[in-house]
Amino acid sequence: MKDKIDTVENAEINFQTAIQDTSSESFMKDAFLRLIANKGAVIGLILISLLFLVAFIGPYITPYDFLSQNIEMRNQGISWAHPFGTDDLGRDILSRVIYGARTAVIISLSVTVISFLIGIVVGSIGAYNFGGKIDAFIVWLIDITMSIPSLLLVIVLNTSLKPLFMRWMETQYLETKNPMFRETIWIDFVLVFGSIALIKWPKAARIIRAQILSIRNKNYVIAAIASGVSTIGILRRYIIPNSIGPVVVLFSATLGEAMVFESAFSFLGVGVRPPIPSWGNMISDGLRVWHLHPHILAAPAAVLAIMTMAFSFLGDGLNDALNPRQWK
Amino acid sequence: MWKYIGNRLLRWIPTVLVVLFVVYALVFFGAGDPIKLIFLRAPGDIAYNAKRIEAIREAAGLNRSFLVQFWNYLLHLGQGDFGNSLVSGRSVGSMIAKAFPITLQMGLTAGAFLTIFGTALGVIAALNHNRWLDNVISGFAMGIWGVPVFVSGPLLMIFFVKVLGIMAVPYGWHGLFNSRVILPMLVLAITPMALIIRQARSALLQVLSEDYIRTARSKGIPNIQIVVRHMMRPVLNPVVSQLGIIMINMLNNAVLLETVFGIPGVGNLAVESITSSDYPVILALVFIGSTVVLMVNLLVDIVLPFLDPRSLSKKETV
Repeated sequence: MKDKIDTVENAEINFQTAIQDTSSESFMKDAFLRLIANKGAVIGLILISLLFLVAFIGPYITPYDFLSQNIEMRNQGISWAHPFGTDDLGRDILSRVIYGARTAVIISLSVTVISFLIGIVVGSIGAYNFGGKIDAFIVWLIDITMSIPSLLLVIVLNTSLKPLFMRWMETQYLETKNPMFRETIWIDFVLVFGSIALIKWPKAARIIRAQILSIRNKNYVIAAIASGVSTIGILRRYIIPNSIGPVVVLFSATLGEAMVFESAFSFLGVGVRPPIPSWGNMISDGLRVWHLHPHILAAPAAVLAIMTMAFSFLGDGLNDALNPRQWK
Repeated sequence: MWKYIGNRLLRWIPTVLVVLFVVYALVFFGAGDPIKLIFLRAPGDIAYNAKRIEAIREAAGLNRSFLVQFWNYLLHLGQGDFGNSLVSGRSVGSMIAKAFPITLQMGLTAGAFLTIFGTALGVIAALNHNRWLDNVISGFAMGIWGVPVFVSGPLLMIFFVKVLGIMAVPYGWHGLFNSRVILPMLVLAITPMALIIRQARSALLQVLSEDYIRTARSKGIPNIQIVVRHMMRPVLNPVVSQLGIIMINMLNNAVLLETVFGIPGVGNLAVESITSSDYPVILALVFIGSTVVLMVNLLVDIVLPFLDPRSLSKKETV
């Protein structure tokens, strides 16, 4: 009976993958068509593309410098000259929001790329060593990091590594006299995305490990190995098309979560420090004077809220488009 | 059952030890000399008097090696002693005893609120599957899930206080039965509520296609009775199993929310202790945080078999 179920299941899966394998381009085309049929996902995708565009060309289109203060123009409301108004130092809020987009994109992209690189390496080691001691250790490590309140741990990580870095930079500067070691802004960035990546990689590792495990022992992969398909061919034809769905969904979710983490850090004053604008420290600044000048608080908060919603809707659309087997 | 609980507790001990060890090492090597940190803030120039600093350090036992100090810390922790704060000199236990009830009251009230309303909204959405009410509720749930509390909190605050003008400025803690607590509570509940709505909705959609629902319908049982008696139980199951994730979410959010609204709870204590490198407080909070999460997960695992007896037998066979 059990064998029968197994063969029925395998037959079904073989059938489905056969459809995908013969034309993996057309699977991606189908997924794309399903994605653009979803209104929420399209709006999300447009907003996120806009965010990335603004982050890359932002410095060339900002109407004002994000640092230039103008005491006579303090706390101005919304006007043509300053579409989002000015803050309590007379800085143009729109320019600061655009620079904040740059900060958010730099950090969330770095976090996502780093945590996926770690996740791919660790997850493949775990899958390769399945049932062994290394795998058990990796699974345990993933469980630990996913079962503790992470925000507190990341803040501790961030604040206690900062003095260590500062001391190291000081000695490096004294030895080399290289002005790079006098710059402390990039240290903020490195510490923020480094410590977020340290708690984000377990999710990536878990999904990649599970994907490899679920595909590795499929009959069609074994058949492909037996018939002499090269490893790269197997990766390209079977492993990647079959596991791309959950990985892409997680990639987009991690981008959004890292963006939120970055602003949470800067909001609490342990992330990117002023004068470099980040949506988080702009919200924190705005909160001090919100009762008198709510627009200072509202602009960065609204932008961040819209962007997180865009990531949610895009993630949902990607999930529906790339994992058609989950359909009910 | 007892064996299962014991097993879980045994597996939790190394986890907490590793977390404490990592945090202890980070603060020990990273934060810098605690004695110097204390006296840099104090008046006078003790911080630059090497001899006196050394004497104080020796009296506090801070000149011993890292492992000895960590071991001593664990011994004290075993006796329920979290040590003294480096900043105020008060015992960490009493500081937490003052802050914890505030966070707990907020968390429990918000938890009850979000479970009841989230389940109800999820059920309403599923019963109106693919109609406009369903689209509104699921769209709301999806949109709100990612929005962090330090964004939704200030935005709602501006909306209610400045735009509508119907609310006093929600700042500080005035007890649970004060109108100023409504907004923080709402913000704390609304994010995890999205998760509950989605879980309840998809669970009910699955139940709706079951044979026994069709049988009940064909027997002529009133609709409301079908929903309450036949559908609610399978829906509660996935809702309860999400409580662990919700707990982690709320603990994370408490840190941010209490900063926004100036509530003197555990989250506020955490931010204060981190910015002033008050590491006995940080360690105690990390310990308590992971304990609370473990307890909630354990409770969920104990309650689940009562809601769905199949889940216990599944666990044993695997």
